[in-house]
Amino acid sequence: MLSYVGAEITRRPTRAVSAVLSVSLGIALFVGLQAYSVGYRAAARAPLSEVGADLTVQRQGDVPESFEGIVYPHSVAPIHRDEIEAITSIPGVERVAESLFFWSFDGDGFVAGLGIDAAVDFGPGRLKAGLVEGRFLEEGDRGVALVDASYATQNALRLGAAVTVAGQSFPVVGIVDTTSVGTVASANIYIALADAQALASVAPNVLSVHDMRPDDANLLFVKAEQTQAEEVATAAERVLGDQALVSAAESFTEQLGALFGLIDRFGVIVGLVAFLFATAVLLRTVAASVWERRGEIAMMRAVGWRRRDISLQLVTEAIVVTLAGGVVGLGMAWLLTLLMRRSSVTVPVPWELSPSPHFLPGGADEVAVVVNLNAVITPTMVLVALGLSVLAAGLVGLWSTRWLATIKPAEVLRSE
Amino acid sequence: MNELVLTESLSRSFGAVSAVRDFSVRIDRGEFVAVMGPSGSGKSTALHLMAGLEQPSSGRVLYEGRDLSGLDEDALAVWRRESIGLVFQAFHLIPTLSALENVAFPLYPVGMPAAERRLRAAAKLEMVGLADRATHQPSRLSGGEQQRVAIARALIGDPGLIMADEPTGNLDTETGAAILALFHRLRDEGGVAMLIVTHDHDVAATADRVIHMRDGEVVDA
Repeated sequence: MLSYVGAEITRRPTRAVSAVLSVSLGIALFVGLQAYSVGYRAAARAPLSEVGADLTVQRQGDVPESFEGIVYPHSVAPIHRDEIEAITSIPGVERVAESLFFWSFDGDGFVAGLGIDAAVDFGPGRLKAGLVEGRFLEEGDRGVALVDASYATQNALRLGAAVTVAGQSFPVVGIVDTTSVGTVASANIYIALADAQALASVAPNVLSVHDMRPDDANLLFVKAEQTQAEEVATAAERVLGDQALVSAAESFTEQLGALFGLIDRFGVIVGLVAFLFATAVLLRTVAASVWERRGEIAMMRAVGWRRRDISLQLVTEAIVVTLAGGVVGLGMAWLLTLLMRRSSVTVPVPWELSPSPHFLPGGADEVAVVVNLNAVITPTMVLVALGLSVLAAGLVGLWSTRWLATIKPAEVLRSE
Repeated sequence: MNELVLTESLSRSFGAVSAVRDFSVRIDRGEFVAVMGPSGSGKSTALHLMAGLEQPSSGRVLYEGRDLSGLDEDALAVWRRESIGLVFQAFHLIPTLSALENVAFPLYPVGMPAAERRLRAAAKLEMVGLADRATHQPSRLSGGEQQRVAIARALIGDPGLIMADEPTGNLDTETGAAILALFHRLRDEGGVAMLIVTHDHDVAATADRVIHMRDGEVVDA
């Protein structure tokens, strides 16, 4: 029977090619949209994956009337020790990196600072990879600072120079290029978490609006089990109450614009509709071919083929054609992904995650992460595409079988 | 017992039109029978009824004493493959298959090893004198050659009876005569009974017996 299948496909090339093409276009569109969606989702994770975290946890608070000394932006109110421990113990949380973000206004000068735990290698700890000069903060370091490279250039700062935070001088021990390691919570200077806590917990314009305690943090980077990230986010929000500001990859997908939103939400549906359309075209092609082959099929019955033999023949032909269409479609989708990878995605980072004062020059500028659109065809997509191909063959086969029941061999043979 | 096929009061109506009425005939093993009659006399319908391609409105067909009326369509198809051969005026070869593959075509669903199937088909093709055309597709064969391939296909199941509906209708006189001679040779050498539906008096003249039909009825047998 397979030789007959082969003959029908290879010796009627126009019909076979049009059937293969119709299926392959449907598959290419279906898989291409999914690959696009995967690429965009990966891009949306970039702001957090750059710093090796799955979630950031903050709390919103009030802004003081006066901007002098150390001040917290409204998106980073203190998170108390008991709350940090409660978040650390949420099932699915693997590790938590604490940090303290602040603005420091000294006379005419302004600096955005971040207190970091030098012992932790993710979150702000990733800055180590961006060290361009000097050394990184070490465990137990106090009274020293790292400076962002562009801030250092603007202010002619070099190793050994001093930066002032709330009247306290911090010698610069290292310069880091923050643009290469992350945009979330980037700052001008980085000091030890303990130094930041000590300064902030006595800062009048912090204490005027917050219950700031010496061991509080205000920006947490959380590593969580991938499968439980959503549950962890919900639980963290419960710990911090109404003012919680928890960001996960999904938070960034919302920033990616209407087109992605549509594709992300309706990509599967659009892909399935495209595939159903392709199946309909395939059905039409097969219907035309079966109609042409009425005499052939009547003859099959006349020379001893049972209905199931004929069905098996037609289904096998359809499976071979649709699988070929599936493989060609996957190839086309792969080419599409190559094209997609040439484009880049700009992921806007919400102001709350990288705050700078609006009243300063550039303070209201949108911060964004630009990454390549890494469209990928996953094994699941391949399996689904091939499964859909077989499903299409099944539909065609089912239709063929029903149609066979209507053929009256004597009538067809007489008329032909 | 020499009886191969017996039909008992076969009738077939299409709506109000009675195509075949009270068709009762007997065909013996190795017998060469022609069915003649004007167009619309019910010859082809009678052949289709005897071949199980058409269900009778009433009456029955017995093949080697076995009543075919209880068989469903698939069982009838298997019976056709194992017991009879069919030849048509329009040949009805599969255009995408070679002559050899067309001859082997009835055996495709059987599950026979491909090599054995090819050997059997090659033997039948040789029997009809077309061994050298085995790889040719129907479009590269003459009408006479195509009909020979169709006859070889009808022989593939080693049938006891070949039913042919106007087998020379699409052929010129000389080719038609050659096909007729082939039928006779198969009958004489293989003992295959022949039931030939024809308009051609020359064909009928060579038959052992001629059944004449008119208006769906046997008028002379």
